[in-house]
Amino acid sequence: MSLIHELESLVQELNSGLDQAFSLTAVEDLRVAFLGRKGKLAQIMQRLPELSPEERPEVGKTANIVKNKLTGLLDECKTKLESAAEADKLAKFDPSMPGRMPWQGSLHPVTKVMTEICDIFKGLGYDIVTGPEVENDFYNFEALNLPPEHPARDMQDTLYVTDNILLRTHTSPMQARTMLKQEPPLAIIAPGKVYRRDSDLTHTPMFHQIEGLLVGEKVSLAELRGTLTAFLQEVFGPETKVRFRPSFFPFTEPSVEVDISCCMCGGDGVVDCQPCRVCKQTGWVEILGCGMVDPEVFKKVGYDPEKYTGFAFGLGVERVAMLKYGIGDLRMFFENDVRFLNQFI
Amino acid sequence: MLLSINWLKEFVPFTGTIQELDDALTMLGLEVEEVIRPFEGIKEMVVGYVVECEKHPEAEKLSVCKVDVGEEEPLNIVCGAPNVRKGLTVAVVKVGSVMPDGTKIKKTKLRGIPSMGMICSERELGFSEEHDGIMELEEGLVPGANLVESLKLDDEVLDISITPNRADSLSVLGIAREVALAFDLPLTVPEYNLVESGDDCSEEVTIEIADADKCYCYHGRILEGAAIGQSPAWMRYRLVAVGLRPISNIVDVTNYIMMGFGQPLHAFDLDRLEGGKIVVDTAAEGEKFVTLDEQERTLKADDLMIKDGSRSVALAGVMGGANSEIHDGSTRIFLESAVFQPASVRRTARRLGLSSDASFRFERGVDQLQCPEAMDRAAAMLADLTGATVRKGVCKAEPKPWVAPELTFRPQRCRDLLGVAIEDSFCKATLEKLGCVVTGTDSETWTVVPPSNRLDYEREVDFIEEVARVYGMDRIEPVLPQVKRTLEARNDDCNEYEFWSLIKTWGCGLGLNEAINYSFVGHTDLDLFNLPKDNRITIMNPLSSEQDAMRTELAPGLLQNLRHNLGHGNTGLRLFELAHIFEADETSDTTVRESGRLNILFYGDRFDSAYPRMASEAEYADMKGCVEHLLAHLHVGEPSFTLADEHAWMSPAVDVVVGDQKIGTIGRINPEIADAYNAKKDVWFADLDTDVLRKLYVSACVKFASLPVHQSAWNDITVIAPITLNVQAIFDQVAATKLPLLEKMELIDVFVPEAAEDAEQTRNLTFRLTFRHSSKTLKDKDVDKERKKVVYSLENALPVRI
Repeated sequence: MSLIHELESLVQELNSGLDQAFSLTAVEDLRVAFLGRKGKLAQIMQRLPELSPEERPEVGKTANIVKNKLTGLLDECKTKLESAAEADKLAKFDPSMPGRMPWQGSLHPVTKVMTEICDIFKGLGYDIVTGPEVENDFYNFEALNLPPEHPARDMQDTLYVTDNILLRTHTSPMQARTMLKQEPPLAIIAPGKVYRRDSDLTHTPMFHQIEGLLVGEKVSLAELRGTLTAFLQEVFGPETKVRFRPSFFPFTEPSVEVDISCCMCGGDGVVDCQPCRVCKQTGWVEILGCGMVDPEVFKKVGYDPEKYTGFAFGLGVERVAMLKYGIGDLRMFFENDVRFLNQFI
Repeated sequence: MLLSINWLKEFVPFTGTIQELDDALTMLGLEVEEVIRPFEGIKEMVVGYVVECEKHPEAEKLSVCKVDVGEEEPLNIVCGAPNVRKGLTVAVVKVGSVMPDGTKIKKTKLRGIPSMGMICSERELGFSEEHDGIMELEEGLVPGANLVESLKLDDEVLDISITPNRADSLSVLGIAREVALAFDLPLTVPEYNLVESGDDCSEEVTIEIADADKCYCYHGRILEGAAIGQSPAWMRYRLVAVGLRPISNIVDVTNYIMMGFGQPLHAFDLDRLEGGKIVVDTAAEGEKFVTLDEQERTLKADDLMIKDGSRSVALAGVMGGANSEIHDGSTRIFLESAVFQPASVRRTARRLGLSSDASFRFERGVDQLQCPEAMDRAAAMLADLTGATVRKGVCKAEPKPWVAPELTFRPQRCRDLLGVAIEDSFCKATLEKLGCVVTGTDSETWTVVPPSNRLDYEREVDFIEEVARVYGMDRIEPVLPQVKRTLEARNDDCNEYEFWSLIKTWGCGLGLNEAINYSFVGHTDLDLFNLPKDNRITIMNPLSSEQDAMRTELAPGLLQNLRHNLGHGNTGLRLFELAHIFEADETSDTTVRESGRLNILFYGDRFDSAYPRMASEAEYADMKGCVEHLLAHLHVGEPSFTLADEHAWMSPAVDVVVGDQKIGTIGRINPEIADAYNAKKDVWFADLDTDVLRKLYVSACVKFASLPVHQSAWNDITVIAPITLNVQAIFDQVAATKLPLLEKMELIDVFVPEAAEDAEQTRNLTFRLTFRHSSKTLKDKDVDKERKKVVYSLENALPVRI
């Protein structure tokens, strides 16, 4: 059999080999067997010197053609197998298998609300300050124009460590602490834990407050309203209406109680034809207390009340969280049930 | 403060709706908490007239009545009251109506005779405790008419929250003033007509005020020939409607005037006052005194008393004494109307835990100018209702007469503070409407003299508030201010809030649940953790013994959370909490040192999800890795972990140290402690000091290191070491050889082969050593050389084989 014939028969031989090749490895084995360094094609070509110089170009040409054909066949088969394998892989793919989810953590709703509020005020240029939770009577009461025997002390039932040391009943001591350290102008936010001797459905003996204080020259009640409107609309949505009504706090004058339009019923007093339980049909919910810093407070810290005016506000973080997330029971905040916590991811 | 709308209408001709009143008062700062309908329970009752009344043929104590209730036929009602008789006007509940306690009245038969309703006693109507017979109503009421309407009951009552500064509003009169202001109405205060008779009695009881600072004025009137009894129905209904218990005509009148005008009054039985005088003086230290609620009180030298010639007869402004109280046989009355120092009354009332309607008003301040008038009104009313004659003259002493302060007001200051362009004329009109006398309005600074009922007007700013209140706080247009700050006050340091926020974000991002627990626990909780007692802060007046100590560790709270969650079927927990712990510290200005702590708790299931995760449980490596992750996150430097010698509540307990600073301890909660919280598996815990961490974090700086140019080469070695040898010893030994080319050493596998019976238990530790040269690529022989150094060093220094 001539070499040419032998070369040409390789094509047929590979074809029948490939017919039996069902894996990429088998195809690779065939490639080595036919086209490898010691493969069939190479072995035939080793016999080239047997031929006369005139015959060699013809054989060489045929060898090239055969080599291309073999390569083509191998590639074709390989592609076919590869796409079959890919198709098989896709067919077996189950998108509904569970994901390998990493741990899911959560921030306490109090932290979430506190952070949101502090961030808003940081954006407005306020500094965040913190201070002790166990306080002197001076910072908690006296400096805030709440002398002993003032009936307003009844507004806050206090937990005492000694007659003069107590658990702060509000974050307002940070007003005095900051002003004693710093001259105006100043703008601070003081978040933190506060304590009252009170425990029922709507009161826990510990809760969180955020205190705000801005002192400067010619600071006005209108500016307090602007600040709180901006803040409350950012927390509760731009449609939120803000209502100011007179109230009393010993450390502010005038003092204001702030209501927002009920976020449950939108101020209509009715949800799904039922009386709104959040605002008790009034359309308003109390959200915070505030006012213009009382001149007595300025005197206690050595500021000139003629030169400086300022505003202060304090709000309960849990109250905001309850309204924002629709949490009905205050005590849940401190049980740390993960079924509760995991809702605030 | 409970305000009856009907009563209010006697003081001001208000004709609007209750909603309008509610809104107006709330927006004036008198917040209406609730609209109460005190007679809601009897709204279905009707007036009945007993047309016939006969004894029940079968039962001696029952009467069979025919009662006209305005229907065609009178109702047949069987009644058991002894006082039921023909011709009585009575209160009737018809069949189908409901009693205040919710009982529905049904058609019934009593000893064979049908009864179509019920005739009510005072108790059943809620007017008093009287239940010996049915209530006899005044004659002339129309049978069948609605009872509540016929009796003109105060069916709408507002519960108004009065802030401590608004003492003036603790009366119908006070609120009427506000209503008049809000709706621009005149005041129509009821008239009274006091008729005095007999000789002047003003010297019969002399008034001595020993402590003029504590008693500003004291007025007394003498009434004679009083007949004590029940006060008239209208007064009793009204007192019940505003939450007071009717007692007797004399006491009821003093309460009625107090509720109407805000002046607390007290009626003594004059025959029981000894020595013809009243002395207002402080008590003797330790003196015992029985108040009219029959409680014996122990007094302090500070308590202000009303005394007669020989003994104490009342706690001034708080409560009368049992020894001088009006009783059934009283005929001569000494009626007291006084003003006491607010702080003094408050101190006594608070110390004795005895807050009365009187003390509540005195503590906040009463109108001294009105004090005698209120007494006269009461005297006139007593004369009317008890038949007493009012003696001529007043026994009085007024060591500290009311002097109106002269205050200033600058309209421009008002505009500046409110940020609203309010006209001078509005300011003036407002202050005048509130009873102030305003002069000097042509200058920038006005003079304002407040009325005697507004003790809260002390400064200019109080007037500014009033202008804002009347103008309408809600009309003030919002303006967003520019926040000005000084460069000096700028503070870029990471404060506790910011640092904690950073850690919280880390914890949440890593997959932990943030917990927040109360700062107080019980001493017993701290005892359970074997914590020292001498540094604890005890709460003087805790709500319960479970909350009587400030926590010196966060662990008890987190363990309580573990118990709670296990109780709800949870099987895996990863909690963290950031909070202060509290320890006694004499050097602190609050006597307490508060330090920041981060605690982490791992328990049970390592993963929340099952497949494709393999079920496994949290162990030491999880907690250690978590802490290492945090420290890497904070760039505070490489930590070392060493077994602590002793720990009160963790075992094992491992100290975490960075440099020479201990930042905390990690480990396992002692099983007996864990057991107390129902934890059956290991509870892994980290207790880290965030104050130390914050200092390290603030001083840490992140520096970029150039990326290596040349490739690294690695080589694994397996060290066969006794199982008791810490892995750290191997790391340390390799580090001690100080190989400049060794870049990294990692433990990549641990295998514990089964040991022969008498042989020492070993484990095979495989480490990967990564070498790198900064200026060339290492060849195999270089690496081999380095490896040999490691092997040599380990074999020489430690009981290991390679």
